[in-house]
Amino acid sequence: MELSLEHRREGNRTVLEVGGEVDVYTAPKLREKLVELVGEGHHQIVVDMTKVEFLDSTGLGVLVGGLKRVRSHDGSLSLVCNQERILKIFRITGLTKVFPIHDSLDEALQDS
Amino acid sequence: MKSDVELRLPPDVQYVGLARLVVTVAARQAGMADERVEDLKIAVSEATTNAIRAHRQAEEPRPVVLSFGPTTDDTFGVTIVDTGPGFDPLPPDAHERREWTEESGLGVTLIRGLADDVEFVRGEGMRVNMRFAVGLTVNGQGHNGSD
Repeated sequence: MELSLEHRREGNRTVLEVGGEVDVYTAPKLREKLVELVGEGHHQIVVDMTKVEFLDSTGLGVLVGGLKRVRSHDGSLSLVCNQERILKIFRITGLTKVFPIHDSLDEALQDS
Repeated sequence: MKSDVELRLPPDVQYVGLARLVVTVAARQAGMADERVEDLKIAVSEATTNAIRAHRQAEEPRPVVLSFGPTTDDTFGVTIVDTGPGFDPLPPDAHERREWTEESGLGVTLIRGLADDVEFVRGEGMRVNMRFAVGLTVNGQGHNGSD
């Protein structure tokens, strides 16, 4: 499955909906999208990973890069993920301590 | 390890998805539980990515070779061999000391966390031997990525 990327505004946040597989082949597209969004002034980003079918360390690295970019603008990057198989790789790598991870988009948007 | 199938991949990252697909189909055919197939899929992706990147960096045109299949002890084995420059894997607890801002270096951590057994052998390139329980445990022991 290819990678799908769609973004929209929700109040003062930008929701980036990611779907499909994020690996070494597709991750550059996600990186480009995050760079583009931050460059356009979107500094409060919620990455909705509900429709992600697969994510490996290449995708984790891109998300870390995105977090660094928004933080350099005093922004934030949080994640929506309710799939155990993906949450597991955040736990193994210790990144649950780095990213705010929410069960639902509503929860992420309510989080201040 | 008794490996029944061999897959030779050109050193191009577009083939990492193919490696995941083929190995996971073989694991399901061997009766592997769905939860373990997900672990296997990520570990195969990581090791194949490392191997293909090594070939790309060394401008090595030869294929990366995966061999895989059920073993005699109710596990599924995967061996990934490259002829790149090789690397010395970080120790198992290295990720606990890494800075969160580093964008790479998590692949070996994931392989170690997801496989029931893994061995990194540096020779002419790298050989990564991984084993996964076909059921949810190996000899009654839970694997180290489940908690």
